Amino acid sequence: MKLKLDESVSSSQDVRALGLEIRDYARWYGQNGIKARVGVRKRKQVESPPISPAAQDLIRAVASKGTLKRKDLDELIDELSYIEAKSPRITITLAAIAPGSLKKSLVNWCREHIAPNVLVDFRFNSTLLGGMVVQYGSHVYDWSFRRQILAGSAKFPEVLRRV
Amino acid sequence: MTIFLYIFILVDVFAVGVLASEAVRHMYAHLTHQPENGKHGGPTTPIPPAVKQKMLEESEEEFKRILNHSAKQLQGDLEATGGEINKQVSRIASEIVAGEIERYKQDFAKLHEETSHELGGVSEELAARQAELKAKLAEDMAAEKDLLIKQIDTKLADAVTAFLLETLQHDVDLGSQTSYLLSTLEEHKAEFTKGVTDEA
Repeated sequence: MKLKLDESVSSSQDVRALGLEIRDYARWYGQNGIKARVGVRKRKQVESPPISPAAQDLIRAVASKGTLKRKDLDELIDELSYIEAKSPRITITLAAIAPGSLKKSLVNWCREHIAPNVLVDFRFNSTLLGGMVVQYGSHVYDWSFRRQILAGSAKFPEVLRRV
Repeated sequence: MTIFLYIFILVDVFAVGVLASEAVRHMYAHLTHQPENGKHGGPTTPIPPAVKQKMLEESEEEFKRILNHSAKQLQGDLEATGGEINKQVSRIASEIVAGEIERYKQDFAKLHEETSHELGGVSEELAARQAELKAKLAEDMAAEKDLLIKQIDTKLADAVTAFLLETLQHDVDLGSQTSYLLSTLEEHKAEFTKGVTDEA
C-alpha cells in the first residue's frame, strides 16, 4: 500500500497522532461491527471517536471497493508506523511560528523534490530574523538572515565609508 | 747671510785688537822713554825738555783722539752689528715663526681634512641611519594605522550587526517570506538533495 500523506501531516508527531486516531477508530470500528453482528440496538451503540479530516481521507482511501474492513485499518496503522519509523526527516527552523500556509508550501516542496513521504518538523527561533535553517541528518543548511548578516558584517565598514 | 755677519764681526774684532796692541805699545814706549825700534835708526839727538814736553802732550792728545775715535768707531760698529744681529735675529725668528705657522697650518689643514673626512663618513652613516629610522617609523605607523582601522572596523561591524540582530528579531513576518523561502530552497535544491542522498 502506498500512502500519500496530507500536507497538514508534516511531522513525525503528526503521523503518530494520526496513527493513534486511526487506531482508536479501528478499535471502535471493530467493536461496533461485533455489536452490529450480535444485534445490539443502535441507541446502545457508542458514537465513533472524532477523527481529523486527514484521517478521514486516509480511511476513505484505504477502503477497498467502498467497504471498509478491519484489515484495511490495520494495514493503514502499520503503514503509518512504518512511515513514522523509516521516512526521512527534515527539521526546518524558522524565525517565528510558521503559519499553516507556509508549512504546507514547504512540505509540498520537500515531498515533491526530496521524498514523497518526507517528514518535516518545524521549530522557531526568533534570533534567526528571517530565512530558515534546514537540518537533515548530520547536515545543517543555515540560510537565515542572521547568518547572512554575520557573514557580511565585514562589509559594513566599507559600506558606511561610502555613505 | 749669517756667514757674512760672522766675517764682519771677526774683522771688527781683529781691527780692534790691532788698534789696542798698537796703543799699548806706544804707551809702553812713552812710559819707559825708549825709542821705537826700526823707526829711528842711528844715534839720537837730545830733545829739549820743552819740546819733549810739548811732544808728549801732543802725543797724548793724539793718542786720546785716536783712542776716542776708535772707541767711537767701535761703538758705531757694535751698534751696527747689534742692529744687524737684531735684524737677522728678527728675520730668522720671523722665518722660524713663519715656518712653524706654515707647518701648523699644514698640520691643521691635514687634521681638518682628516676630521672632515671622518665627519663626512659619520654624517653619511648618520643620514643613512636617519633614513632607515624614518622608513621604519613610517612602516610601523602604517602598520599601527592599519591595525587601528581594522579594530575600528571590527567594532563597527559588531555594533551594526548587534544593532540589526537586536532590532530585527522583534518584527518578523514569515508570511511575507514564503516566496523567499521557496526560492531559497529552489536555489539550493541541488546541494540540498545531494546532502539528503548522501545521508540516506
